[in-house]
Amino acid sequence: MKIRKPDLFQIITYPAVIIVFAIFISMLITFLIRSLPAFDMYGFNLYAKNVWIATENPDNEKYGILAAIWGSIYTSVIAVGIALPLSVGYSIFVIDYAPKKVKNLLIILSDVMAGLPTIIYGVWAVFFLVPALKDNIMTPLYDTFSFIPLFSQPSISGFSIMSAGTLLGIMVTPFASAIIRESYQMIPFKYKEAAFSLGLTRYETAKLLFGYIKPAVYSGMILAFGRAIGETVAVSLVVGNAFNLTANMLAPGYTISSLIANQFGNAFIYGHMTSVLYASGLFLFVIGLAVNLLGIYMLRRWRKNVEI
Amino acid sequence: MWKYDTRKIKEKLFLIAVAALTILAVFPLFHIVFTVFYEGIGTIMATGPTFITGTLGEGGIGPAIVGTLMLTLLSSIIGIPIALAVGIYAYEYPNSRIGKITTTLLQIMLEFPTILVGLFVMQLIVIPTGSYSVIAGALALAIIMMPYVAVYTAESMSQIPFTFREAAFGLGVNRAKSVFMIIAPIAKRGILTGLLISTAKVAGETAPLLFTAGGLYQSYPHSLTEPVGSISLLIYTLVQSPSAADHQMAWGAALVLMVIFLTVFIPIRMSLKEVKL
Repeated sequence: MKIRKPDLFQIITYPAVIIVFAIFISMLITFLIRSLPAFDMYGFNLYAKNVWIATENPDNEKYGILAAIWGSIYTSVIAVGIALPLSVGYSIFVIDYAPKKVKNLLIILSDVMAGLPTIIYGVWAVFFLVPALKDNIMTPLYDTFSFIPLFSQPSISGFSIMSAGTLLGIMVTPFASAIIRESYQMIPFKYKEAAFSLGLTRYETAKLLFGYIKPAVYSGMILAFGRAIGETVAVSLVVGNAFNLTANMLAPGYTISSLIANQFGNAFIYGHMTSVLYASGLFLFVIGLAVNLLGIYMLRRWRKNVEI
Repeated sequence: MWKYDTRKIKEKLFLIAVAALTILAVFPLFHIVFTVFYEGIGTIMATGPTFITGTLGEGGIGPAIVGTLMLTLLSSIIGIPIALAVGIYAYEYPNSRIGKITTTLLQIMLEFPTILVGLFVMQLIVIPTGSYSVIAGALALAIIMMPYVAVYTAESMSQIPFTFREAAFGLGVNRAKSVFMIIAPIAKRGILTGLLISTAKVAGETAPLLFTAGGLYQSYPHSLTEPVGSISLLIYTLVQSPSAADHQMAWGAALVLMVIFLTVFIPIRMSLKEVKL
């Protein structure tokens, strides 16, 4: 068989594609190799226990990051819970009601929010959002509903799982909105026409059409969850950074990414902590990969259905 | 006619509900911009021009501004050529097996937790060389930037009608020439937009710099192999400090970062219809 001489196009683009694949694969391999010592030492307990004993003597070190895993999931679920109604309401308003100029303005605002450096959200949250939530939401919640386990303990500083979840909710809303808005706009006009011709009101039409884009809404929420779980600096500033394994959302907590951000800088002092943090990163890596693949796949399949 | 009335009421309530949710969704932006401006301007006024040019000891964030510019520039130099080539590849082969995998990989990398990129580059460069450096920070940012640029490039090129390619092939132009010399220049505007938005995005990144750039605020950076600061990293450090003076500093730095971001982002955003986030 004769090997075809590669053309200029291939000479230019193939190496770049190979570089990108190589970066991704070597990232995965790096995290795997660096986590091995931690798995050797602690086994599956690393992900299943909540202990954090860092001492000078490596034999006495004990780590289990369950609290951070729990915190990551908890804060991201709160974030998605906040983002869902906001982004659905926003999408309906922008597409169905807003006049053209308002529509463009709202879309630009949402895009600016999505791109705004996360550290700016962080500063704002530390000095405004957290104190405001503490005084107006968290303290009343505790006073009234402390018999519910979710609010069973007063928040002392305001830095808590609830603060982190709320901030993440604000941050991922524009992102979820963009997905839902685009999908809502993709619905063929004939369906809307048909609904109106039956005499349905706009509310009834929207309700009907949202049945149609349900898969897109789900994938938007999944992708928003993926984004929330990977967010680092803003969350680490407000979550409180305490190893708490609790359902109480007024208590401070930890997330995987803020654990890495806080501990990695001085982890080299301890025998096993660096490896443990790489193992935490690996967990985040795998969760992020799975969640995003699922979201992207669902969205793509839905879009293909619509286009036919 | 009673039934008709409930429907009307529901319709009105629905409008109120979605309008309220919309306001709630975008309100934080106004509050953030206002608060950062209000708090930040006070700090900057109190220190004067030194705030922009001075070192941290003199009450300024000059080294951080220079650091952000250096990191952004170097990451663009590293990332953009590769990303353009990958984007062009993804445009050229939307349906082949490797083309599809490439597109999926780019989308996954878009969503990837940025702190993990920082850890990876630390292992790759910081540990072997034994020092935080501009190069390490820029490489981390370049990895984050690549998928954005590539996705923008592929999308803006795929919007060019296929007839241009047919015309090119009809004249006997080969594939490389038709893509690089004909389609890419026509899609120039979209590609440039993608480049600028991606650059604005990485200029504000913090997490990937935590363990790669290191931080340098008492003097200006003068070497690519030595630690460097950035505005975002400086804010992160200042916010965690217990001192109120540092918090004021953080507000001032946040204002500078926000102004840089908005002056790049808003004009570009106004000039086009849709962006990919």
